Amino acid sequence: MAPLRTLRFLAAGAVWALAISASPVLAEDAPTGEQIFALCTQCHGSVGQGNVAVAAPPISGMDEWYVAKQLRKYQTGARGKHAADHEGLKMRPMVRFLKTDAWVDNVAAHVAGLPRHTPEATLIGGDSERGKGLYGPCAACHGQAGEGVQATNGAPLVGLSDWYLYSSIEKFKAGIRGSDPLDTDGAVMRGMAMILVDDQAMKDVIAHIMTFSN
Amino acid sequence: MLEAFMLQASSYAADIDFVVNLVGVLVGFWFFLCSGVFFYFIFRYRAKDGVKAEWITGEVKSQKNWVFYPHLLVLVCDVFILAAAIRVWVDVKQVIPEENTPVRIVSQQWAWTFVHPGPDGELDTPDDITKIDELHLETNRVYRYELSSLDVMHDFSVPVFRLKQDAIPGRIIQGWFKPTMAGEFDVQCAEMCGIGHGLMPARVYVESPEQHAMWMAQHAPKSLAAITAP
Repeated sequence: MAPLRTLRFLAAGAVWALAISASPVLAEDAPTGEQIFALCTQCHGSVGQGNVAVAAPPISGMDEWYVAKQLRKYQTGARGKHAADHEGLKMRPMVRFLKTDAWVDNVAAHVAGLPRHTPEATLIGGDSERGKGLYGPCAACHGQAGEGVQATNGAPLVGLSDWYLYSSIEKFKAGIRGSDPLDTDGAVMRGMAMILVDDQAMKDVIAHIMTFSN
Repeated sequence: MLEAFMLQASSYAADIDFVVNLVGVLVGFWFFLCSGVFFYFIFRYRAKDGVKAEWITGEVKSQKNWVFYPHLLVLVCDVFILAAAIRVWVDVKQVIPEENTPVRIVSQQWAWTFVHPGPDGELDTPDDITKIDELHLETNRVYRYELSSLDVMHDFSVPVFRLKQDAIPGRIIQGWFKPTMAGEFDVQCAEMCGIGHGLMPARVYVESPEQHAMWMAQHAPKSLAAITAP
């Protein structure tokens, strides 16, 4: 009986050790950005090029600070918790995979290192010349060429798809984004989005932003 | 039996458990009986020196009776199971109690949106309270839910209520439940709905009438008149 009991103890110990070693929760070191990014590819595409079919915007080449900031906003509920923000609600649970700050930083760095996406125009009816005039106030935060400005928390716009820009402006105008008390940058953008008084103005300014990518 | 492992927190949880237990007991009885007979025969008719194996075709009446009579008895058991199951099905799925409070449940990849009626007890009025992944209920009140999906199939499952209902895109599915126990319980999606399926848990908070009224007063959108009143 004694050898059998020893064998049982050994088997139980082996199973326990296997469970511990396989558990990502107990892993001390965060995975690499590339490893974490494998999850993001499910919606954002293999190189972060985005996928309009699932309303996932292109993210490749976005500034590291901006990606990390948005991920943290999702984590705190500052973004993606409005009942009408269906795309945000989809993103919100995904950040639960990011267990520590190191996970956020690693994946943000990886995304920033990906070649920037050149989006194709899908919106019609926008006039980039008219949009150039409308873009004036936007440049104060987002930069003259939509490159994004960390000091003003202005998101980089270059590389984003027009359908995503349109949807985002609509959300800001409707208070679906930028209305959470924790989202102070969003609150600023919400006010600025009101400058674009109608659909045509939105399309015009987006047509101008698209010239940055091209 | 099941209640030993999971709370019964709705008015029909015990009825559903009864059906599950009934099925378990009857199937368990036949399983152990058949296994016993089977192993008895294996032992009784094991290989013995000087005894030649026999090929049994199952055409002799005395042999067929070993299948025929148990089969009839199993069918009798089925009648009991069907009677119990239909009774519960009608109560839980077919008849919604007339006096009820509506609540809207919207599923999507990968979140639950719960729209609670405000103090007026009706949906689609300005005092509705919308919450993400949080459902607030009052004990011993009948709720009629309107379940829908914005994208793919989901399944609204509250194990302690013994409630599990598919949400199908394009349809509004109605049903009911009556929470009977105060507490905080799990809501889960029980239909594989994509990569975030395992990440869309929600919570149901079942509160006493006083607590629920307090919660409602705190969260119901205030009218302009109420805000500006001295």
